[in-house]
Amino acid sequence: MPPSLSLKIGVSGVRGIVGESLSPQLVVSFAAAFGTYCGAGPILIGTDTRPSREMLRHAVVAGLLSVGSTPVDVGIVPIPALMLHIREVGAYGGICISASHNPIEWNALKFIANDGIVLRPNQAKELTDLYHQGVYPRVGNSEMAEARVDTTTLARHRVAVTTNIDEKLIASKRFKVVVDCCNGSASQATPQFLRMLGCEVHELYTDVNSLFPHNPEPLPANIVDLCKTVRETGADIGFAQDADADRLAVVDELGQPIGEDATVALAIRHCLKRNPGPVVVNLSTSRMIDDIAAGFGVPVHRSPVGEVNVVEAMIRHQADIGGEGNGGVILASVNPCRDSFIGMALILEALSREGTTVSEMRSQIPSYAMIHEKLLCRARDVAPSLRLLKKLWKGHPMDFTDGVKLNWSDRWIQARPSNTEPVIRLDAEAPTENEARSLINEALECLSPSA
Amino acid sequence: MRELKIGTSWVRGVVGDALTPELVVNFASAFGTWAGAGRVIIGRDTRRSSVAMRSAALAGLQSTGCEIIDLGLAPTPLISFAVRELAAQGGISITGSHNDARWNALKFVGPDGSLLNTVKSEELLDIYHSGGFKTARWQDIKPVIEDRTVIDRYLEHLLSVLDETLIRQKRFRIAVDFCNGTCAPLATKFLQALGCTLLPVNEEPSGEFAHPPSPNPSNMRQLSTLMKCLHADLGAAINVDGDRIGFVTSDGTALSEEYALPLAAGIRLSRRPGTVTTGFSTSRMIDVLADRYEQQVIRTPVGESFVIDQGIAEGAVLAGEGCGGVTALPASLTFDGLLTLGLVLEQMAEKESSLAQLASELPRFIMRKLEIPCPPNQVYRMLDRFRDEYSELSPDCTDGVYLRWDNDWLHVRASNTEPLLRIISEAESETRADELLEQAQTFVRRMAFAFRGR
Repeated sequence: MPPSLSLKIGVSGVRGIVGESLSPQLVVSFAAAFGTYCGAGPILIGTDTRPSREMLRHAVVAGLLSVGSTPVDVGIVPIPALMLHIREVGAYGGICISASHNPIEWNALKFIANDGIVLRPNQAKELTDLYHQGVYPRVGNSEMAEARVDTTTLARHRVAVTTNIDEKLIASKRFKVVVDCCNGSASQATPQFLRMLGCEVHELYTDVNSLFPHNPEPLPANIVDLCKTVRETGADIGFAQDADADRLAVVDELGQPIGEDATVALAIRHCLKRNPGPVVVNLSTSRMIDDIAAGFGVPVHRSPVGEVNVVEAMIRHQADIGGEGNGGVILASVNPCRDSFIGMALILEALSREGTTVSEMRSQIPSYAMIHEKLLCRARDVAPSLRLLKKLWKGHPMDFTDGVKLNWSDRWIQARPSNTEPVIRLDAEAPTENEARSLINEALECLSPSA
Repeated sequence: MRELKIGTSWVRGVVGDALTPELVVNFASAFGTWAGAGRVIIGRDTRRSSVAMRSAALAGLQSTGCEIIDLGLAPTPLISFAVRELAAQGGISITGSHNDARWNALKFVGPDGSLLNTVKSEELLDIYHSGGFKTARWQDIKPVIEDRTVIDRYLEHLLSVLDETLIRQKRFRIAVDFCNGTCAPLATKFLQALGCTLLPVNEEPSGEFAHPPSPNPSNMRQLSTLMKCLHADLGAAINVDGDRIGFVTSDGTALSEEYALPLAAGIRLSRRPGTVTTGFSTSRMIDVLADRYEQQVIRTPVGESFVIDQGIAEGAVLAGEGCGGVTALPASLTFDGLLTLGLVLEQMAEKESSLAQLASELPRFIMRKLEIPCPPNQVYRMLDRFRDEYSELSPDCTDGVYLRWDNDWLHVRASNTEPLLRIISEAESETRADELLEQAQTFVRRMAFAFRGR
């Protein structure tokens, strides 16, 4: 058995376990490579609340200064707010120090281009090449820039997100909301934002100096406290965000999680009501979206998994609304990235307009059962494994945009290599759980002997 | 050639050349490991690059699990004091010190508050080269603590070494050239407590040095000129990180940096008789002065860590070198410019003399210095031959070759920082000093010719 490799350098940035693989040495060099890539201008640095954030920020600042860039520390901020800030002030780029939904021992650098979008795969490759070449044009003492601090990120973001939202209408409803920020980067921003929308906010985990109270991925199993608190306080809705606040999970007034897919579905449905147009979601997102779009007579375009792929496809298809089934809502005209604040604003506006409850609204959109499985798989075994699956499903129409995906009229299964871990992800969706499970089992039986 | 030097107790280089943030992270990680992931004090000088160096050092130290206390802009003697006062396992001073602004360095302080000696430096280098750094798990990484209060305790400590009341009575006017370094805030409080009026020069902590930072007469020209209109009793030029100091008399005469040690010695030895340690290349003025108080002078290899390490070992009361670095032991365990200034003021107050008078009462020697470039692979052969040539004088070979006559001496040694030989002579007359230098120079040139092509 080879040693477990916790370091992953890929299109999603540099990710690893602190004290094991994500060392300050590595981070300094990557920051120097990124500074070289962006040029000698301001580069914004935001973090989530992980205890390793300070060490990594110091390493990033040192690397950026060494090549003449100007590091601008914006503090603990949600990644969508950081991305918006970069675009708004014309910064040369940005680095988000957050391992997002990964457990607390992980951390990562996510690299953001000057347009406020995560580096495209080809840009990420150029950066990785620079890193591997290891030659960074260092500057001397006299050309070295001064590190700066900027605390305007959250305010800029609040203004932008509420621009096209009927704030007065939402405020008039005086929603009672429970938020679980997992003590992550939205801990300050979310309560402020919701109070500005006239909500009565009950804060669950919003202390940036405490550890994550649970695994930060906003899956139903991780947000039981939120569900309980919604029930106990008689709130209208509960929101959960992951550590960097790009993903959003919603809990209805009965304390039931509606599922991350439904977050995106509800946001998309409301947007289409406001303004019908094409929709873009990734290949792993629920069929709910197809059903909803069909109701408005608009097309759904599917992109490979990964935020940047969805955003690129949205630009290509001139879609304003889109997202990823894991709770990542994207409203391109406001902020072309997964933004949980936009998700909250859209869902609250929908509730206000329709004068309804979350559970009622959830019941108006179709339900499917989705199952996610992952199978440990070394990089070299990925292609042979996918070939086995192609053989298994020979004869059916297949989509190879991202791994292998099979579509039937009411169900689908997809097998794709993860961008962040050495695993193959198997996702299946069908009208019932049993049907989805049998699709997955078929694939697992085919792969297990080889794995 | 890339400019990087790893010496006893420091790593220095030109920023943007060999001194990269990766190197700093690695050295900080090695130091954190050496310090057992305990408490470490950190401070920096005013150079632009020191901000980047600090970030890199913090990242490295934090990754080992150290508890870091950050003093911000801080002179090296303050960092040394804080290590002792806060019971830390070590300290790092980020400063290019007397080197020009392009340079920067990490100066490493051990748990006793003095710069790492040879043995400790070797331990650190072994860890650095092995790359076997401690790595803290995420839950063991400690936040950096900022401290702006230890400076007041340091001030109290400095004053406790001096006769505060005596100095206060004189209401001195003191002009200090800070060379845009770290000392102005501390010196302001210090001189105020001593009842002095401070006339600051180049006090903005901008890191844009008005002149090269070494406090020697050629770098004190601005201060000398200003002295004529400032009507100050004394002028002092203090190095960027507060270790070395040079003096200018009230009429604007800049004294050689060799004067700092003997000027401070009189008062120190009369109040606290004891041994003095100094480097081989330092003027014999100190020997004459120590004789007056019937005290011993011990010579060590050139370099602060040797002089102070030996001083601590011998229980000396004063340590210093001809570069203007002086300290009273065991009060301050690194060269301490402000403490030196305090001693000189106390001497002026005690003797009711001007600085010019005090300087004129010191024995007059003539010193000559010369540098001869020498390929690194010939340096030691050259020194060997030189020793053989003068073997009948039984030279001291602790650091190069040191020849001593009754009133004169000649020292030939390898530079710690550059590929060259340093030749220094001192005598009672100019003719004799020139003659000694000439002798050594001729020999070295002859040998260089003989080594040609070999």
